[in-house]
Amino acid sequence: MFSSLNISTMKKCTLAAVIGATLLSTLASASNLDIGRAPTAEEIAGWDIDIRPDGKGLPPGEGSVADGEVIYEDKCAVCHGVFGEGEKRWPKLAGGFDTLTDDRPEKTVGSYWPYASTLWDYIHRTMPFPEPQSLSNNEVYATTAYVLYLNEIVDEDFVLTPDNLVLIAMPNAGNFYRDDRPDVINERCMENCKDPASIEVVQSLRGITPTDHFKEDGNDGVAYQEEIGKTADIPSLFEPAKAGLATYQQVCKACHDSGLAGAPKLGEKTNWKARIATGKETLYSHAINGFQGESGMMPAKGGQTQLTDDMVKQAVDYMVESSQ
Amino acid sequence: MSGFSRTEENQLLARLVKDGDKLKGLDRRLFLRQAMGALGGVAAGVAAPNVLGNSNLPPNVPSWTKSLGEGVVTHPYGMPSKYESDVVRRTVPWLTADPISSISFSPLHSLKGIITPNGLIFERYHGGVPTINPDEHRLMIHGLVERPLILTMDELRRFPSVSEIKFIECPANGGMEWRGPQMEGLQFTHGMLSCCEWTGVKLSTLLDAVGVKPEGKWVLAEGADGAAMSRSIPMDKALDDTIVVYAQNGEALRPEQGYPIRIINPGWEGNTSIKWVRRLEIGDKPWYQREETSKYTDLMPDGRAREFTWVQECNSVITSPCPENPWKIRGWYEIEGVAWSGKGKIKAVDISLDGGVSWRQAQIKGLVLSKALTRFSVMLKWEGQPLLLQSRAMDETGYVQPTLSQLRAERGDNSIYHKNSIHTWQLKEDGSVFNVQLS
Repeated sequence: MFSSLNISTMKKCTLAAVIGATLLSTLASASNLDIGRAPTAEEIAGWDIDIRPDGKGLPPGEGSVADGEVIYEDKCAVCHGVFGEGEKRWPKLAGGFDTLTDDRPEKTVGSYWPYASTLWDYIHRTMPFPEPQSLSNNEVYATTAYVLYLNEIVDEDFVLTPDNLVLIAMPNAGNFYRDDRPDVINERCMENCKDPASIEVVQSLRGITPTDHFKEDGNDGVAYQEEIGKTADIPSLFEPAKAGLATYQQVCKACHDSGLAGAPKLGEKTNWKARIATGKETLYSHAINGFQGESGMMPAKGGQTQLTDDMVKQAVDYMVESSQ
Repeated sequence: MSGFSRTEENQLLARLVKDGDKLKGLDRRLFLRQAMGALGGVAAGVAAPNVLGNSNLPPNVPSWTKSLGEGVVTHPYGMPSKYESDVVRRTVPWLTADPISSISFSPLHSLKGIITPNGLIFERYHGGVPTINPDEHRLMIHGLVERPLILTMDELRRFPSVSEIKFIECPANGGMEWRGPQMEGLQFTHGMLSCCEWTGVKLSTLLDAVGVKPEGKWVLAEGADGAAMSRSIPMDKALDDTIVVYAQNGEALRPEQGYPIRIINPGWEGNTSIKWVRRLEIGDKPWYQREETSKYTDLMPDGRAREFTWVQECNSVITSPCPENPWKIRGWYEIEGVAWSGKGKIKAVDISLDGGVSWRQAQIKGLVLSKALTRFSVMLKWEGQPLLLQSRAMDETGYVQPTLSQLRAERGDNSIYHKNSIHTWQLKEDGSVFNVQLS
């Protein structure tokens, strides 16, 4: 019985080896695996959004500085500043010329970016921050034109097109070079590598690192945020509102802290009064399901669909209680 | 404890300890003392010392030995012990404008070995973590290829796979400290660093499948997130060791790490390892995307900037002691740390106790893998003397980790990225540890 079993097993093994060898011979190259299919031209066109400095990828369209100003002030200025100066820690877009060798260089579109195509590409693929890929091609041309205008790279009557975009010479083009590291050679010295008397110890700044998890007198690092005052009176909030604070800071704050995309700002009572008057259930519904209002659009759950309805409701509670 | 049965007494004591667990230090001691008093003062005699922190220590038999625990699948997906609740990612709130476009740091001071657990891998994204249904996600490969391809996630898994242990590091790791030390813990000085076993399909396999045309020299990788993150990758890297990854440390990618699929460019700045990847386009030139012009270029003192600074050069740091792991008593300790290089294997690590005057070679421990975290250690009997602790790694190319002074002399203070200099911990007589720099 044992011998017959062994023979049977051996036969199977041999057979498997033969099949395996056949498969392996065809696996030498992945080019004939025949997995997947060819995308349609329409599928590629829908996703192929990248733009190169030579203009490859730019769609037809045009946009003027004047049209761009309207879009910029509506959708961009709240973070990037009316003149591109940047609010809080959001990126500064304009100015900073001749600062790149300064102690505190200002790297903006005008002072640093080498190609105008990158500006078009970036606005198109991910701006405005809370509503990525929402602008039409003409709106992207116009907004790009306006940011170039803020940097005095084009005139106020300029109209940006695929043809003239590739001709725009950015001030800092040509000042980039390929990585030439290693640029520093250290020796593996083992003894008497420096004079002990030459050592000066520079201490760390204190108080800006979140350290309350390992220091008795530690802090949470939040003190450096300018917004700290707004949440200072937390004890006056009801429990659901307190629970909503975390969701607010993670999700809602992006728009409701700054008024981005027409969002009512936290704590602005006049803006919230009429909204609160519609009732909590209405506000819950708008926040959970999305809402097109007069001043702006509230995406369903702020675009964060993984939030539970309760988390959204608690965030609404927090915003209402902080704004009435 | 008059008026209570033995069982009732034990239950009450257990309840007290449980409630007391929620309090800390002096509060806990006061709570228990007062509660004991309320019970009639009897406990202050024999039971009290045990309840006040020692009841489970020898010679007593611990409560968990005299009871039963939870059954299987009480937690279908297991989580760490409640006593490890401090081992978490943390952020520095003031670093960025908004948590949706921000970074969190791995708790390097609490991690062992070379693998970062999936829930503790540092996070960096620019448009939040998308919630992607894998059935509705596709990988499209097109451009200068013979056979453009679109793959479902199931189809991608039918290609031959590889599993590789590689570190991933943000090039801005340590970038807050070009001008001077300012972060008071290891988690924040070096925590934009993690290491995983990544499983997926080598990009070279997929490029073989689509047939790259001779003029195809670059690959644009693009994410499906709200930032549509995109980077240009040169063909020689793509054909060398880039992986299209669907699993990390044995399980599916975590959402914040690119679920369902991402790119891993081993040894290169983390930003090139595009998460939530949806598209790979083959072209003849780089695209000069925002993340390779405005960001992730290194401004030099002459006002010019390095571009495509992909490689994470050789680096190391001591993880114990560190500010979060002080030495509380005198005696023997293991000085331990991690070293890594984007150019290959770690060849040697040296440790200095005197701020770099003299060095001794450390022992390399465990696996030594290319472009992976590597552990080193030195045993030291600490007699309470102050130390200026440093580690200095060398990789297999012979490159020796530089000093900060050397980097500054070449690059100034404003290049933000790729600060891989020798790090210094100051250990004081009381065993406390501080982040310092030596001038």
